[in-house]
This record gives sequence, C-alpha cells and structure tokens, in this order.
Amino acid sequence: MAILDVHNVSKNFGGLAALKDVTFQVEEGTIHSLIGPNGAGKSTLLNVLTGLLAADEGRVSYKGTPLTEISPHEINQLGIAKVFQTPAIFPEMSLLENVVIPVLAARDGDFKLNFMETPKGMAECYSYAEEMLNEVGLQDDRNKEARFLSRGDKRRLELALCLASKPKLLLLDEPTAGMARHETEQTIELLRKIHSKGMTKVIVEHDMNVVFALSERISVLAQGQIIAEGSPDEIKGHPKVIEAYLGEEQEEA
Amino acid sequence: MSKSSNYLMPIFIFTAIVLTMPFWFPFLGGYEGLDTKILIWAIFALGFDLLLGYTGYLSFGHAAFFGISAYVTGLMLLHFSSNIIPAMIASVIVTLIIAFLIGLLTLKRSGIYFSILTLAFAEMFHSAALSMFQDWTGGDNGLTGIPTPMLFGLKMQEMTVYYFVAIIAIALFYLAIRISRSPFGIMLRAIKSNQHRLEFTGVNVFKYKVFAFVISAFYATIAGSLMVIYEPYVASEFLDWSTSGHLVIMSVLGGVGTLFGPMIGAAFMLYFENVLSVPLGEQWLLVLGIIFMLIVIFLPGGFVDGARKLKRKLTAKENS
Repeated sequence: MAILDVHNVSKNFGGLAALKDVTFQVEEGTIHSLIGPNGAGKSTLLNVLTGLLAADEGRVSYKGTPLTEISPHEINQLGIAKVFQTPAIFPEMSLLENVVIPVLAARDGDFKLNFMETPKGMAECYSYAEEMLNEVGLQDDRNKEARFLSRGDKRRLELALCLASKPKLLLLDEPTAGMARHETEQTIELLRKIHSKGMTKVIVEHDMNVVFALSERISVLAQGQIIAEGSPDEIKGHPKVIEAYLGEEQEEA
Repeated sequence: MSKSSNYLMPIFIFTAIVLTMPFWFPFLGGYEGLDTKILIWAIFALGFDLLLGYTGYLSFGHAAFFGISAYVTGLMLLHFSSNIIPAMIASVIVTLIIAFLIGLLTLKRSGIYFSILTLAFAEMFHSAALSMFQDWTGGDNGLTGIPTPMLFGLKMQEMTVYYFVAIIAIALFYLAIRISRSPFGIMLRAIKSNQHRLEFTGVNVFKYKVFAFVISAFYATIAGSLMVIYEPYVASEFLDWSTSGHLVIMSVLGGVGTLFGPMIGAAFMLYFENVLSVPLGEQWLLVLGIIFMLIVIFLPGGFVDGARKLKRKLTAKENS
C-alpha cells in the first residue's frame, strides 16, 4: 500500500522549471531513495513534501490526506518527520531537552497552554526522551548543550529528535553530507537499525554507497523529471541513469 | 530534571528580599516609595524577560501596554470608582485585547522587523493619546485629578501600596518561574534556539509566540495599573518609546533570559537614577551609559552572568 503519493507535481522558480510533472509512490515500510545529479530538483521535491514550498501544480498525499495545502507542523503531526541536510537541532538546549520537545509535541498536539505543569508531570516524557538518546548512543551526553556535539553526533541527535515523535514516514535530506567515512558507516548502521522497526523512509542522497546499501526502491530525478524507477539492481544498469548520473561519475573515476 | 524541579528556592529568596525591603532599603539611601517603584518596574521587566529572554523577540512596544493600562486604570478610578479592583480588571481586559491583536499582526515577522513594527504601534498610541484622545488622556499634561485609590475601604498609600505591590510581585514571580519550567516554557526556549526546527517538530510556533507576547503584555499591564495606584497620575511619557528603551536597558544590564536579572537591572537603574544620581549631578546619564557599554562589551550576560562567573571562579579556587 502506498503511504506517500506524489502526482504530477510541478514547481517553477521564475522561468526555471525545478520540477516537471513528477509522479511516484512510496510503499509503506520501505526505504525509498531519490537520487539525481546536482540541480535535479531533489531538495525542491523534499521541500514540497514537507510544506516548505508550495507546488505550482499537482498533489501530494500521505495516506490519502493532501499535504499541499497544510503547514509543516500539521504535516509533522500527521506522522511525517524530516532530517535536514544541515543538522537542525536546538543548539543552546541540552540533548535531553532537544529530544523531549518532540515527545511533548506528540503528547500535547501542536499547541497547549500548559504553563503550570511541573517537571514531575513531564517525567514520562523525559524517560522516553532518554530511551531515544539511548537508541542513537548519546545517553552519556544527555545534559550537554547540543551545540558542543560533533557533526556526526548532531546528526544522531537529530535522528533521535525525529524518532521521538514516532513518525510513520521519515524524510532524510542527504543524511551523510559532510561526514567522514566512519561517521557515514555509523549512520548507515543506525538507519538500518531504525528500519527494523518498520518505519517508511525517503532518502535524498548523493553518496551512491549509502543509497545502494540502504534502498529497496530508487527514483532517479534529472532536470526536474523522474527518468527511472526501480530496485537498486535495476537502477544500476539503467541506461538513462548511467547517462544522466552514474555515467558522469564513472567518467570522473 | 532534578535541577529544574527545584523552583522553591528562587521563590523563597525573592519573597524574603521583597518582604524585608522596606526595613533595609532606607539604609541604602532609598527614599520612601522608591522601593514600591522598583517593584513595579521589576514586574514590568520580569514579563519582558518572558518574551525577550525566552523567545528572543525584542519588543519596542511594551510602553503601549504599560501606558494603555495606566490610562484605563486612571480613567476608571476617576470616572467609575476609586476601588482599584474594577480598575485593574478593566485595564487587563482592554490591554490584553490590544496586545493580542498587535501580537497577531507583528509576530508574522521576526528580528528587526518585529521590533520596528512594535515600536510603530506604540508610537501610534502615544501620538493618539496626545492628539485625538487628549480630552480623555489630558494630552501633554497627563491624566490628573485621580482620587486616592481604595481597596474595599482601605486607602492605597505608603506601606499599604508597598505590600499590595509586593504580594502581586511575588505571585507573578511564582507564575514566571512555573512558566519557565513548564512544557510551555521549554517551547518558548526552543523558539529562541531554532524555530524552524520546532515547526518541523509538530509545534504551532506562531500560537506559542502570540501567547508568550500576551503573557508578557499581561505583566506590563499589571505594572502600568500599579503605577497609577502607587502615584495617582498618568504621565504621557508612559507611552513614549523611552519607556520601552528603559526596559531593554534594564534587561541587558541584569541578564536576559534569567528572570532574576532584568529585575535586578530594574532595581539598579532606578536606584542609580534616584539615589546615585545625586552625587553625580547632571552627569549621571553619562555614567549610566558608560556602565551599560561596559556590561555589553565585557559581560554580555549581565549582572547575573557576572555573579555566576564569580561563583565558578571562587568554587574553582576552593577546590584547588
């Protein structure tokens, strides 16, 4: 069953068509990657999916609910979380506070005027946040301010932050960008571990090692259009993909 | 978490300081009534910190809430009843409706745009008070002829006013501490830290900002109302941008985002203006300006941050 349905989405920036009639579906419980050369429209598509950009045409629906007319916080409340290209965390707050925020948002909805609730009342939320930190291996730094973490650890924290809201669909925008090799491997491991819990993931990624190591299905974007779709093996040998993307890399190599 | 659940200590310290202030303040050269004025400004600064210190939104329009509340209180005491309760209730209702509407319009923007928008609204009210509403506000002369405020037969003068203000200040400090340690307070701090991420975490950031703005305006409203109860007169300067400017200086001097800090800043500034200015003569503003610059350059976290650094140094010395 498709959890995410993207149908004929187009987006223009002035005279530039960033997305042209993009159509694809993401099956529930799978890891689906979006790849393509620079400027292909991957990040634009991800921004349309999360409500950061409005599509000029077409529709995006999550479990039958249209996403094109609602704001990012409403999209998140439906069960969609996003990991940004540059780790988006709360730098001046402790790791535990970082992760307790989505737990509170999941408990209280998008707004609650609960300014008389004591920290005691939040005990369950804090204990769940600790569990999430444990999941990504950051439990020892729970009281540290997030800004002091390394880039790899910031990414782990962001993952914990996203997982804490118990999303059904996780969107990841280049989760290994700017990471050293060993950090990339750790992130792949972590994403595999999370996947064993049955969450659907859409990954936008440049690093082909990451894409082929994780994906069950791949859609290839080039110049704002989907040019190929299939399993990793199908994509590896697809002539259009070799021409548009992998070919360039092979030539470079 | 154990640290955040310990909110009784600051309340206890604040209560002890406030309740004993009339006994020790005269020894520091404070004249009668200055302690009441300090407490009123402390309430104003405390509410301002819930907005600036927690969400990071710098309002230059809080003079509007302080001034409007003062005018409503004054007009109620003058034309309706000298009992302060209906006057305070009316000022809270009127001012909070205005604050809510201004919040809706200004919080769509952030940074300098928000500050300028709030300043523009406050100046609009100031200008209206001096022109189209001058029959009601008394124009440049301010609102005069207000009878002595009463609380169910009790004259609000001298120590009665002080302890009335003190009880309200303690209650509002307790509320501020509770807010700061609540899920609501965590969301406000998250707004300051990264509101983009917060929005993508399923939180309606705009609603939190509007309510933080209204709560902050509530403190300004109470302060404005108490100012008229303390001294039955409304000066048109209450609405002037310099009132908001004072508030910003107090917050920066004391330490933004610390709750205690802006109140200490308020006490310092009023003490400086009313007591230390005497030996300094006309140059007191210049000296205050230099102190402000030194704090901003060398101690950006204000007095509270300075005290924390000193404590850390002393503890390190003791340990070595």
